[in-house]
Amino acid sequence: MAKIFFAPRRLVVSTLVAMLAILAACGSASSSTASGPVNLTLWSFNDNQKEIDLYQQSHPNVHITLQKLPSKDYYAKLQTAIKAGNAPDIAQVEYQFLPTIISTGGLVDLTKYGAANVQSQFVPWTWGQVSQSGKVYAIPQDTGPTAMFYRTDVFAKYGIAVPTTWDEFAAAAAKLHAADPKAYLTDFPPGEAGWFFSLLWQADSHPFGISGDAWKVSLNDANAKKVTDYWQGLISKKLVKTEPDFSDAWNADLQSGNVATWITAVWGGGFLASAAPQATGKWKVAPLPQWTAGGKAAGNWGGSSFAVTKSSKNAKAAADFLTWWNTDPSSISLLVKENGLYPAATAGLSDAGLKAPQPYFQNQVTFDTFAAASPQVNTTFQWGPTMTQVFTDLSDNFGKAADGSTTLSAALDAVQQSTVQNMQSQGFTVQP
Amino acid sequence: MRIVASRPAWSRRRLPRQWLTAYSFILPFALLFLLFFLVPIGFAFVQSLHQSKRSGLGLEAPRELFTGLANYTLAWHDHTFFDGIGRVLLYGAVNIPLILGLALVFALALDSATLRFKRFFRLAFFLPYAVPGVIAALLWGFLYDPSLSPIVQGFAHTRLGAPDFLGPQSVLWSINNISVWEWTGYNMIILYAALQAIPQELYEAARIDGATDWAIAWRVKVPMIAPALVLVFLFSIIGTLQLFNEPQVLATISHSISSSYTPNLYSYTTAFAKGNYDYAATLAVVLAVITFILSFGFLRLTRNQSGV
Repeated sequence: MAKIFFAPRRLVVSTLVAMLAILAACGSASSSTASGPVNLTLWSFNDNQKEIDLYQQSHPNVHITLQKLPSKDYYAKLQTAIKAGNAPDIAQVEYQFLPTIISTGGLVDLTKYGAANVQSQFVPWTWGQVSQSGKVYAIPQDTGPTAMFYRTDVFAKYGIAVPTTWDEFAAAAAKLHAADPKAYLTDFPPGEAGWFFSLLWQADSHPFGISGDAWKVSLNDANAKKVTDYWQGLISKKLVKTEPDFSDAWNADLQSGNVATWITAVWGGGFLASAAPQATGKWKVAPLPQWTAGGKAAGNWGGSSFAVTKSSKNAKAAADFLTWWNTDPSSISLLVKENGLYPAATAGLSDAGLKAPQPYFQNQVTFDTFAAASPQVNTTFQWGPTMTQVFTDLSDNFGKAADGSTTLSAALDAVQQSTVQNMQSQGFTVQP
Repeated sequence: MRIVASRPAWSRRRLPRQWLTAYSFILPFALLFLLFFLVPIGFAFVQSLHQSKRSGLGLEAPRELFTGLANYTLAWHDHTFFDGIGRVLLYGAVNIPLILGLALVFALALDSATLRFKRFFRLAFFLPYAVPGVIAALLWGFLYDPSLSPIVQGFAHTRLGAPDFLGPQSVLWSINNISVWEWTGYNMIILYAALQAIPQELYEAARIDGATDWAIAWRVKVPMIAPALVLVFLFSIIGTLQLFNEPQVLATISHSISSSYTPNLYSYTTAFAKGNYDYAATLAVVLAVITFILSFGFLRLTRNQSGV
């Protein structure tokens, strides 16, 4: 009798066991014991294997596993991993999102591993980006000082001089568009918040700051309004395009010269050469137009730092690698040569790889322009702790401005309001 | 008599065993349903009752606090969310009748005796569905993009001028067009399959009664496939409220599509761009409830036709 009842139950039990086994197989992560050699994992957007190999030659007990990740939704992934306690030992964090990641409480303060000693080796403004309240949360790797790429053929054809101030830039925009209705001096990509912030950075705007134990949020300060009013003027008169950047249509415009300048960071040069190959020998680079004649101010767009997470069991080894990676001359040369990065280390700015004439740019030594711009980047510019929200809101609101249903200035006010609201609702202390 | 008398005893012994066998067959489903459906929904609901809070500069990890229905109060006053709902409802009001109308016409045409090249048309109508949604959106994106589209550039040379497929007024209908292109064939196949299942005798009977082909289509075929129509309508309602792929892809070329254009996109942005998982869970729960109400409301309305 018992058997009859038992058989189905055994079936039930074995089914259950089999399913749990499947689930367990899905869930179990391979864990390696760190006895002897030190194992580190590294999350990066780039292929950094060459630098890692070089480091492992002189540090045979350190084994670094590179995990190359796409930038799409990267920070959501990193934040989730930090929350779950299985973040990589070392993670790439772009400057603008560093305060956001710091506020997860998941990054290690590197001052206890001697990070403060290397401060003098980096371009001054980058150190302000990686440190907060006397603590250092990351080591800078590369930067994106901005300048203006322009089409020499289009400028020559319509007799346009390279603008050195924003007033001249506006006059050139009007002149070009009048001469050729298809052509625009530049594109204002409404969705590219990081780009817009580089304009604010140049204009000495300070969207975020810290005062005591409170955040100061002034996204719509007077200097920021100067920038939005200026570009609104150009957009209202239809003297600039407002198409999304990095789109196929935009690529085609860079190729044809229908968009005659690109205000962008140092990495834009390599991008141009690959995105607009048919325009070889038609582009050159000049310093950013200035707000006051004779001024010397540059912005920054992009660039990254690397941080050690609290998930790491070998924070010291990770910090040691980071310091070597970003200050050792042979490592920096590899960053320049293999990854096409513009180093954050001051010594790196005169790396041999940055002194070569560029055939795509009429043999101009384009990096010289950026080496001049790098020290002109404002050192006190700070990012807020909710930048992913700020970027999303800015991009949404500027989209409406490009459609004409609002203005850039009103859009900026809206972002100021939504940012303060968002920060306060999360419990941040915000001082207006 | 002995046999009859022993039967209840046999049943009493056998019944639990049959039950257990039956349950053990259901168990794999039930377990997976529990793990991958009920538990995540429950988790999302629990999450929606929390908010993460910081203090001062927020340099420490945030604390998760139980805040009851606070997130739901926020959602109730969230214009962005309800703008998105309104947008997809407007979209659905045009999209669903259009798709189902076309699908029905195509299915009836394929089912009629007079249409030639039936197999070709069946494949041709269905083919767009075989193209993955994201690819379809990319493909149409090229046809909408002012700098690349042969359509836009073609019209630019005529007196009509270049159409703007990506502007604030038009982009919703551009998305609509992609969806019609993609889903009509799929719905047509379901309706066509239902038409195939109608017994031929009904047509003979109708003909004997003097019904024309039109009358047979309208009076016999359509009522007979009413349950299938109700089903595809239901799928369409759910699909409409979950609109995501097409706006997500087109947003890269149109600044008229904000990060909160549809409720699903808004929930996604809230979680993965703004890192507010609690509020994203709240939005997801509210959207699920709205979908539930609309779906079951529709089923109730059409109870007589659907047989459900």
